[in-house]
Amino acid sequence: MSFLGSTASAPAGGDKYSVLLPTYNERHNLPVIIWMLVKTFTEHNINYEIIIIDDNSPDGTLDIAKQLQVLYGADRIVLRPRAGKLGLGTAYVHGIENATGNFVIIMDADMSHHPKFIPEFIKLQKAQNLDIVTGTRYTGSGGVHGWDLRRKLTSRVANYIASTLLQPGVSDLTGSFRLYKKPVLAKLISAVISKGYVFQMEMMVRARQFGFSIGEVPITFVDRVYGESKMGADEIAQYLLGLFKLFALT
Amino acid sequence: MALTKLVRFLLSTVTFFSLWLLALNEAIPVPEAVAEFLPALPLWIIVSFGAYSLGSIGWSLVTFGDCEEAHRELMKEVAQARDELRRNKITIDDE
Repeated sequence: MSFLGSTASAPAGGDKYSVLLPTYNERHNLPVIIWMLVKTFTEHNINYEIIIIDDNSPDGTLDIAKQLQVLYGADRIVLRPRAGKLGLGTAYVHGIENATGNFVIIMDADMSHHPKFIPEFIKLQKAQNLDIVTGTRYTGSGGVHGWDLRRKLTSRVANYIASTLLQPGVSDLTGSFRLYKKPVLAKLISAVISKGYVFQMEMMVRARQFGFSIGEVPITFVDRVYGESKMGADEIAQYLLGLFKLFALT
Repeated sequence: MALTKLVRFLLSTVTFFSLWLLALNEAIPVPEAVAEFLPALPLWIIVSFGAYSLGSIGWSLVTFGDCEEAHRELMKEVAQARDELRRNKITIDDE
């Protein structure tokens, strides 16, 4: 069976979902994640587009993206490349500019986030007319594969400190697998000032401040790159600093 | 303008300590049983919070969800995807 993104009939309600996929050196993962996304959307008859924001990857990710565009159609695969590695917040701004969907999904391109959860996000969003649905690794049937005890401990302590200080009302603050109503995402991005891990945290904190409704869906997170990205003292210091800034400024 | 979390925390802490000091110096009436315990109250709060934190983190660590199954399924899907993509002339090279 193959899923080549046929022009299926529009689903009732006319909702369209724009997936924002920032990429940097994802030559190997990109085709697979696109294949999985197309399969999920086609199977569930969801109207979609996937916006690839490549930061001039030296490994030729953009060339692969162009091949995928030929395969699946330029109405489904949209390319919004940038000149260099410019950070996540601006990637979202850049990607959202020409997004034609009324909903936006943000996720990682390295397959730690599985597209199979997207229909669940959509279902929860519709059931409660939520502004935001976020995946959580820490409650219910959520979980992580590929972390050793030390990494799990770091994650738990980090989350505990963040939750205690910020009282965010969500269980997974640093998660980046989320569904937003497009205007909600646009408003949040313009309000957020942090970078890195803290960027995703600040999005949730601001969302609460603005009174947006947030729902959670447990997700499984398969980390295949842990071991390549070290959690050094520097990163921890930056995290705590960012966290304290949020505590002091919001 | 709403108060920041830091300001609210500082306000609560200052308020608590003021009340505590007043109670210690008997400027506020306090029942006998409470009066004995009063000097130790701040320390008790800190220690209790510490114990609660450790317990909470320990518990969340022990109940951390693993997803072996998800990993296996993903590996299978990845293999299937790569095959199909190769057939459709997408460049799939090995890492």
